[in-house]
Amino acid sequence: MKLTEQNIQNLYKFTRQHYVYHYDVQTELVDHLANDIEQIWEENPTLSFEKARDTSFKKFGVFGFMDVVEAKQKQMSKKYWKIILRFAKEWFTFPKVVTTITIFLLFFLVLQIPYSEYIFLTTILSLITVEMVILFKSRKEYKIKEKKKEKIFLLEEMLGATKNSYTGFTMVNLFNFVNLTRFDFSNLTIYWIFFLSITLTLLCILFYITNYVIPQKAEELLEETYPEYKIVKNM
Amino acid sequence: MGNQKLYKGSLQTIILKLLAQNDKMYGYEITQHVKELTKGELKITEGALYPALHKLEAEGLLDVEVAKVGNRLRKYYKLTENGTKETANKLAEMQEFLKTMQHLVNPKFSLE
Repeated sequence: MKLTEQNIQNLYKFTRQHYVYHYDVQTELVDHLANDIEQIWEENPTLSFEKARDTSFKKFGVFGFMDVVEAKQKQMSKKYWKIILRFAKEWFTFPKVVTTITIFLLFFLVLQIPYSEYIFLTTILSLITVEMVILFKSRKEYKIKEKKKEKIFLLEEMLGATKNSYTGFTMVNLFNFVNLTRFDFSNLTIYWIFFLSITLTLLCILFYITNYVIPQKAEELLEETYPEYKIVKNM
Repeated sequence: MGNQKLYKGSLQTIILKLLAQNDKMYGYEITQHVKELTKGELKITEGALYPALHKLEAEGLLDVEVAKVGNRLRKYYKLTENGTKETANKLAEMQEFLKTMQHLVNPKFSLE
């Protein structure tokens, strides 16, 4: 006995109810459950769809789909990081490396003038604010998509809405550290200033890549990651 | 059913070996195949199989393909070039491991 289209839709709903939110992860689990249910029916054809489904789900253990979701998230985080590095490399080769060096020198010089800690704090604070605004906007878009029951892929959410918050976290931490300890930059040795300038430059690049470059290339990246992306979006 | 714990560390090697023999496979097929080959002795649990597959994919050893089968999408895994190389390494490691265990469990005394 084969599963009907309705059964398949029910399985998608079932995975959703068990905290699997992304279409790519759902799809793999749905196919697995479907195969298993068909197998169960072969041995016991009178069993109802729901009972067969629950029997199959029990095989995943007490944590249900959680282990699968977790592993998938880890895999995608790695993938996302690799994508960032791919774009970041451009900033260290000609011609973009000129911009990188300019940003670095700018920080390096500015951080040496008196009261530069305020410049430092303002820079970080404005970057955080801009990132917050962008995040807020994309989360809103994401919520609309969710309401419309559009299929959302895990990497899609990472690229757009969560961004793994790499830059955000680092910047908030830096800001707090400098602000709370009332750090005085005029006492710093040149090595520290050098180090701080490098950190700030890297943060700026990371910020630009995650917020502007990657979202623009999202479609391309998603098609590259998910062979099914095109089929699904046209369904 | 044997002691599943003993098999746990070998899951990745088992998956790689199966894929080396079968070109491309999907998750459920792998569980069934293993069950068949080992006559039910080894049952790969769902909660362990997919995390292992995703890990291998993240490491660049596996590639994925998706096809529409009947009324659903199916994700197939296959070895990448790196994956094929790594399979050979892992199998060699496994042979070494089996040899060592054999010595430990069943030592042969000789006059050498």
